[in-house]
Amino acid sequence: MMNLSGLIHSLRCSLLRIESRLLPAGLDLKPAPALALNGPSLLPQIHQDQDLNLEDQQISDQPSRVLDGLLWMAAPKKRRTIEVNRTRRRADSKLLEVKNNIEPCPECGHLKQKHVLCGFCYTKVCKETAAIRAQMKAMEGGPLNAPAVETLVLYEGETPTPQDQDRRIVERPRKRPAWFSP
Amino acid sequence: MTGRGLSFIRNLPGLLHSRLQWGNTLQQLSCLHTSTSLESKNWEKMNRKVYPPQLPDEPRRPAVIHHSRRQIKYSKDKMWYLAKLIRGMSIDEAIAQLEFNDKKGAKIMKEVLLEAQEMAVKNHNVEYKSNLYVAESYTGKGKYLKRIRYHGRGMFGIMDKVYCHYFVKLVEGSPPKTEEKTSFDQAKEYVQSLKNRTIIHSL
Repeated sequence: MMNLSGLIHSLRCSLLRIESRLLPAGLDLKPAPALALNGPSLLPQIHQDQDLNLEDQQISDQPSRVLDGLLWMAAPKKRRTIEVNRTRRRADSKLLEVKNNIEPCPECGHLKQKHVLCGFCYTKVCKETAAIRAQMKAMEGGPLNAPAVETLVLYEGETPTPQDQDRRIVERPRKRPAWFSP
Repeated sequence: MTGRGLSFIRNLPGLLHSRLQWGNTLQQLSCLHTSTSLESKNWEKMNRKVYPPQLPDEPRRPAVIHHSRRQIKYSKDKMWYLAKLIRGMSIDEAIAQLEFNDKKGAKIMKEVLLEAQEMAVKNHNVEYKSNLYVAESYTGKGKYLKRIRYHGRGMFGIMDKVYCHYFVKLVEGSPPKTEEKTSFDQAKEYVQSLKNRTIIHSL
């Protein structure tokens, strides 16, 4: 903490020094960025030429010109109390809603949302699919070698039927999972 | 020995005693703030409280488990909404709600609840892990790290890297049912409270 505050102070001092040296002293008198308003001057002008013009303008539309500059920037008038802040942050619309569409998956028993697939079942299917794809990659050997025929996945103890003569066979050395129908 | 000297000697222990008392009270007053510092982790210490064995005719005291996680990289205000969500729910319901919530704090809170459930079964003699409910759950501000945020014109701001703590108290048993008051009842109560206004200590 001490190092950070010291660093910040030294940064500030150095910046002020650089400003005072680079820019002439008359230009930037205030260190903070000043607000420049394009409106009528509230202080009386010294030049004689502009006196008549100013008087004409002020007589014709005095109230709007004076108020224009004040209403330009919106700013909070008072600090919002913690009670006001709490009622806004803890309003019923901002609280989280309790979900009533959660039910257990009939296959694995993990929880799932009614309109969404069960996450556990999905990951188990993903894993098996990744293993099949790895097998296919090993069979193909390189990229762009996919055969122009259908693929058939066979597990342990399964033989291809006469229909599957013109299909490429991917062997998986495990028992067929219950969810993968042949 | 003069009477004054004797009376002084008689009063001496009294004076010393009063001086010592004042010194002790000063010490006690200074000790009041030594325990409540940032390093004290009182929530975890509450698990160590041991009650005397219950008498056979006393109603069974439900098991209470305090658990917390410190310095979670998340905002305490954002975490508060999740803590408010699961207040008063049974632990299974709470875990289900947190599992399907998309907020970052939900994953962390679910871990904390599962840890607390395991602690309850292992260390706090809880028979059924589902027979728990969330009695208290709230967040606290952790120690922030401060960084510089650069603005234009050489101005800078100090950015806070926020951390929070999360505290949860699980109690054995089914969650207590909060009776929902209808709006008409609430309005009636409000009107009654206005009617009950009176001047105290009047004639």
